[in-house]
Amino acid sequence: MEIKIALAGNPNSGKTTLFNALTGSRQYVGNWPGVTVEKKEGRLKGYDDVIIQDLPGIYSLSPYTLEEVVSRSYLVNEKPDAILNIVDGTNIERNLYLTTQLIEIGIPVVVAVNMIDLVRRNGDEIDLAALSEKLGCRVVEISALKNEGSQEAAKLAVEAAQQKRAGEMPRVFNGPVEHAIAHIEESLQDQVPATNLRWYAVKVFERDEKILSELRLDAATAADIEQHIVDCEKQLDDDAESIITNQRYAYIASVVEKGVKKKAAKHALSASDKIDQIVTSRVLGLPIFAVVMFLIYAIAMGGWSISIGTAATDFTNDVIFGEWVPGLFDTILGAVGVTEGSVLYGLIQDGIVAGVGAVLGFVPQMLVLFLLLAILEDIGYMARVAFVMDRIFRHFGLSGKSFIPMLVATGCGIPGIMASRTIEQDRDRKMTVMTTTFMPCGAKMPIIGLIAGALFNESAWVAASAYFIGMASIIISGIMLKKFKMFAGEPSPFVMELPSYHVPSVGNVLRATWERGWSFIKRAGSVILVSSIIIWFLSSFGTVNGQFGMVDNLWEDESVATEEYVESVAARMGISADEAAPMDDSILAGIGNTISPIFKPLGFGSWKPTVATITGLVAKEEVVGTFGVLYNYDDQGGEDELGENGEQLWDRVAEDFSPIAAFAFMVFNLLCAPCFAAMGAIKREMNNAKWTLGAIGYMCLWAYVCAFITYNVAGVAVGQVAFGPGTVIGIALIALIIYLLVRRGYVPEEGTKAVTSVAAAAAAAN
Amino acid sequence: MLPLSMATPGEKQTIRKITGKDEVRQHLAELGFVVDSDIMVVSEVGGNLIVQVKDSRVALNRDMANRIMV
Repeated sequence: MEIKIALAGNPNSGKTTLFNALTGSRQYVGNWPGVTVEKKEGRLKGYDDVIIQDLPGIYSLSPYTLEEVVSRSYLVNEKPDAILNIVDGTNIERNLYLTTQLIEIGIPVVVAVNMIDLVRRNGDEIDLAALSEKLGCRVVEISALKNEGSQEAAKLAVEAAQQKRAGEMPRVFNGPVEHAIAHIEESLQDQVPATNLRWYAVKVFERDEKILSELRLDAATAADIEQHIVDCEKQLDDDAESIITNQRYAYIASVVEKGVKKKAAKHALSASDKIDQIVTSRVLGLPIFAVVMFLIYAIAMGGWSISIGTAATDFTNDVIFGEWVPGLFDTILGAVGVTEGSVLYGLIQDGIVAGVGAVLGFVPQMLVLFLLLAILEDIGYMARVAFVMDRIFRHFGLSGKSFIPMLVATGCGIPGIMASRTIEQDRDRKMTVMTTTFMPCGAKMPIIGLIAGALFNESAWVAASAYFIGMASIIISGIMLKKFKMFAGEPSPFVMELPSYHVPSVGNVLRATWERGWSFIKRAGSVILVSSIIIWFLSSFGTVNGQFGMVDNLWEDESVATEEYVESVAARMGISADEAAPMDDSILAGIGNTISPIFKPLGFGSWKPTVATITGLVAKEEVVGTFGVLYNYDDQGGEDELGENGEQLWDRVAEDFSPIAAFAFMVFNLLCAPCFAAMGAIKREMNNAKWTLGAIGYMCLWAYVCAFITYNVAGVAVGQVAFGPGTVIGIALIALIIYLLVRRGYVPEEGTKAVTSVAAAAAAAN
Repeated sequence: MLPLSMATPGEKQTIRKITGKDEVRQHLAELGFVVDSDIMVVSEVGGNLIVQVKDSRVALNRDMANRIMV
C-alpha cells in the first residue's frame, strides 16, 4: 500500500530544502490540474512506497491565492495519509496559524520545527512536549539546511499515517464561536466525511464561498446556520472571518506562552534589518539594484572577459552545433546511406539540426542567467527588488512584482513569461504576460548586431536604443492598457514577506537552475522541432519551371532551370541573373512576395525581410541566418562561416536598405509576436485562446505602429524619407498614442472587486 | 490612533485597527497583522514601509500602511 504524505508550510520556512533532503533526486515536477501552479512530488529516501507531495508555500488555507486553493482541495479531496507541517522556529507564532488549520482537516499531522539551530543561537527554548500536548500532534525539531532530524520527522509522519488516527483536536475556539461551530457541525454531519467535519464547519462559519457552493445546503439549513453566525457576530461585534482569525491567534498565543521561551528582547534590529536599511533605502536602493543587474547582465550576456554565459553559448553554437553535431549526423547519415542533397538529409541537417541547434545554443547562457537569479532568490534579494521597483512600476499601473518577469525576459522570454505566476491579481498578471517580451531577449541580439553593423557603423547606440524601445513599449503599453475597462484599477496593494538574508544553499540553487533550464529545453525543444520542420519544408520546396520538388535539386538540373527561366526569376525578383538562387522559387519566397506589401509602409516591403521576419517566428536569431541564405552567402564555397551578427552580409544588406528602413525592420522584429516557443508559453499562462490571440495581436499591432512611425516620421525628420501621406498618418498615430496616454480612462466603480487569479482560474474552468 | 505610515521608525507600536473589509485584510491577518499585535516600522522608503510583525519582516506600500492604525 502506498502512503502519501503531504508537505505543507509557509513560504520561506525551508520547505523546499526539506523536500529536497527527503526525496533527493527522485522528484517529479508537474502542474496542478487546470492552474499554473507547480506541483512537485517525490519518493521518500529509503521507503519505496512513501510518496511525499510538496504543497505550495502558503500562509493559510483561505481561498485567496491559487496556491491556497490547490493545497486545500488536495488535502480535503485527495486525503493524503498524513501531513508533515514544517514550521519556522524563529517565527513560530505566525507559522502555527497554518498549523491550526491543518489540524482541523482531521488528517494525522506531524509538526517539524525547522531552523532549530537558529532558535538555539538566539538563546530561545522550545518545549516540544508542551507544544505537542497543546496541539494534539507530534512535534519534532529539525534543521533542514543541516539535514538534522529531517529523516526522523519523515519517519514519524509515516508512523502517523500507518496509525491512521489523528490526535485529539485542540480547543482553538471558545465561547459563542465554539457554540456556533458545534451547531454547524451537527447540521453538516450527514453531508461531509466525519474526519473533515470540523474543517467544513469552520469554513461554513467563515462563509467560505467555495465551500458553500460545494456543499449546496438546502435553504432551511442554510438559513438556520446563517442565523447562528449572525448571532455570534452580533455578540462579538465583529465579522465571522475576523472572529475566527482573532481566536486562532489568541489560541496560538496561549500555545506559544507555554511552549516557547524567548530570550532576546522582541523588536531588536537583526543583521538582516541592518542590511535592509541600506539595500532598500531611498538613496541607495536603486543604485545598488542597478549595479547588481549590470553584473548579472555582464556575466550572463555581455561581451567581456567575465562574460561566462556568452563564452559558453558561443562555444555551443560554433563548435557543438556548428561542427560536432552536424559532423556526427553526417557520419551517421552517410553510414546508413542517406546522401547529401536528398530530402531526408535536408530535413535532418538543415531542418532539425540547424533549427533546434540554434535554440539549444542559448541553453548555456540561460543556465548562467538562471543560476545568478536563483542565487539572488535564495539569498532573499529578489523580494527586495520587487519592493524597490514597486515605487516606480506603480506609476504606470504595474506592481513591483512585474519587474522580475521583465528582468528574466532580457535573457529569454519563455522563463520571463513563466515568472509572471507570482503576481496575484489577474489583470496585472495578464498585462505582464502581454508586455514582457518587448524586452530584447538574447536571440534578438544578432538582429541588432546585423543592423548596427550593416548600416550604423556598429554603433553601440543601436543596442542601447533597442533596450530603450523595449522598456518604453512596456511603460507606454502599461499606461495605455490601464485606461481600458478590462485592465482598469489600481495594481494590487503591495504586501510581501521579506525573508531574512542568508547564505545560499548550493543544492537549492543548482536544483532551481536545472529545473528552470530543463523546462526551457523541453518547451523550446518541442515547439522549435515542429516549427523548424515546417519552415525548412517551406523554404526548400517549391515549383521550378513548372516542376514541384526540392528547389536546390531542381536548380542544378539545367534542363529544368534553363537560362531563360533563371532570367525570368531574376526579373520577377528584381535582381540580376547571377543573384537568382534556388530559394527564390521556394514556397516561402512565394508567401513572402504575397504578404510583403503589408510591410511597404514600414520601408522594408520586399520579400527578403518579409521571409526573414517569418522565420524569426521560429527563433529570432533565425532572422540573421535567413538573411545569409537570401543574400546568397555560401559558407561552403571557400568563404568563412557566417558570423553571428552576419558580418559578411553587411555590404549586401546595406545596398538594399536605407538606414531608417533597416531600423524600422529592427523595431518591428523586436516588438512583434515572439518566437513560437514564447507564444506557447503565453498560451499556457493565459490559459485561454482569446487572451492568447489578443496578446499576440496587440504585440504585432504595437510593433507595426512603432515601425510605421519610425520610418514615416523619424525618417522624414532625419531627411531619408520624403514627406508624404505616410508622415501624416504617422503623426496622427503619435497623436492617438498621446491621447490614449493622457485621456481619463475607465474608472471602476467604488467597491467593485478586482478579479484575483483564483477567480479567473475558476471562471476558466467553468 | 494614527496610520502606520506616520509612525516613527524603530518604535514598537500596537495595532489598534485595520480599516477596510476585503481580501487584502484577510491576507494581512494571515501574515500576522491583527488587532493588539505588536508592530514596528524597520525602514521607510518614500511612504513604503518594511515592518516587523510577529518575528517576520513584511514590505507594505503606502496605501496598505495607511489602513493599519496604531
